[in-house]
Amino acid sequence: MKIPILRLGEILLTSIQVDLTDAEVMEFQSSVLHTISEVEARGLALDITAMEVVDSFMARTINDTASMARLLGAEVVVCGMHPSVALTLVEMGRGLIGVDATFNLDEGLSRLRKRIAQRGDSMLGEDDRHERSS
Amino acid sequence: MTESTDFNLSHFIESHQDKLLESWMKGLLPEWRRKHPQSVDEDTLRRQSRQLLDGLAKLLAGQLTESWEPPLDHSITLLLRNLSSARVKQGYRAADIAHYLVTLKRVLIHALLQENLTGDLSRFGDLLATVEIATDSLTTLIYEIYAETRERIIAQQSLSLLELSTPVVRLWDRVVMVPLVGVIDTARARQVTERLLESIAKFEATVAIIDVTGVPILDTSVAGHLMKTIAAAQMLGARVVMTGISPDGAQTLVKLGVNFSEIPTRATLRAGVAEALLLVGKRILSIKEEQ
Repeated sequence: MKIPILRLGEILLTSIQVDLTDAEVMEFQSSVLHTISEVEARGLALDITAMEVVDSFMARTINDTASMARLLGAEVVVCGMHPSVALTLVEMGRGLIGVDATFNLDEGLSRLRKRIAQRGDSMLGEDDRHERSS
Repeated sequence: MTESTDFNLSHFIESHQDKLLESWMKGLLPEWRRKHPQSVDEDTLRRQSRQLLDGLAKLLAGQLTESWEPPLDHSITLLLRNLSSARVKQGYRAADIAHYLVTLKRVLIHALLQENLTGDLSRFGDLLATVEIATDSLTTLIYEIYAETRERIIAQQSLSLLELSTPVVRLWDRVVMVPLVGVIDTARARQVTERLLESIAKFEATVAIIDVTGVPILDTSVAGHLMKTIAAAQMLGARVVMTGISPDGAQTLVKLGVNFSEIPTRATLRAGVAEALLLVGKRILSIKEEQ
């Protein structure tokens, strides 16, 4: 099962809707990173609304992916975590430390846009966009 | 012809110099020409070889014991040194250079054989042995010189590579940049750090961009070196922006537990430049917008 990675301007949006095997999780991680690098994305929104169970491996992978994406110059937000998932993760002693989280996708995207606007490269690619729209 | 007992090798070489030189060049030149058609300068080679024969004749006037070695300050040593190091620079291989003296040995022995000295076999054996000792030790010498020259060239090259590969570029007022290319080992890492710190101090830079686009492998040791460089730059009050980490590099770094989260990282150099400009309060605008 390949997880689609959608491009919203300078932000990449990806949503995990099904249970993934460990191998699939690693493949997902690698394809997210390569896409960020290819399109020079400045933000990554990771939507986990549909995930009712997050095990420790998945939690760690989300953490790692966020750190890796940051090394590639992308801001990261995790959106839509279930209350029960949050509770379980805290009880396991394994929070999603260091990753910005929002309750829904809308909030997540606006936070990403705000953070990107504060960055020095926010005006990069304006010429490209201009050419494409004209 | 001379009686074998009175036969003098030194005189023999002197009196037969032209003939010896001719057959020497005949044995040598076809092969050198085939291998290095550009670089064979026949006149120079002939002149040098003639000098070598002269020198050899003088050497052979004395007695040579088995442990004989050409004296370091002898003209023949200097001659071989010039000849060998010039050939190394032209890309001759060790075998080609050895071939020079091996041919001489063959020519000498061949000429001796034609002299009909077989009357006194033990004397003839002595003569052959002397030729052997002389040419063999000269061959050893030429090998040594070859290796020395090669080593010197390699040392020079690695020095200039080191120089070449670590420039620090002043990108803007108060912004410096280090484009890293190639493998980062301890020596290079230290040099990069030194150069970067010098430039930060010299230009009073407040932002340093470290671009690792050209670094093929990012592992713990490279990351460790980078962390030290970053820490040192921060101690001088500069902020560091990392650029050019590849997706695979990012995966490796995080899996190795390397923490770069304190410093801004950008995928491309251009994004890094924009970030650096923001940090010094500058911004690039299109001319239209400004009007």
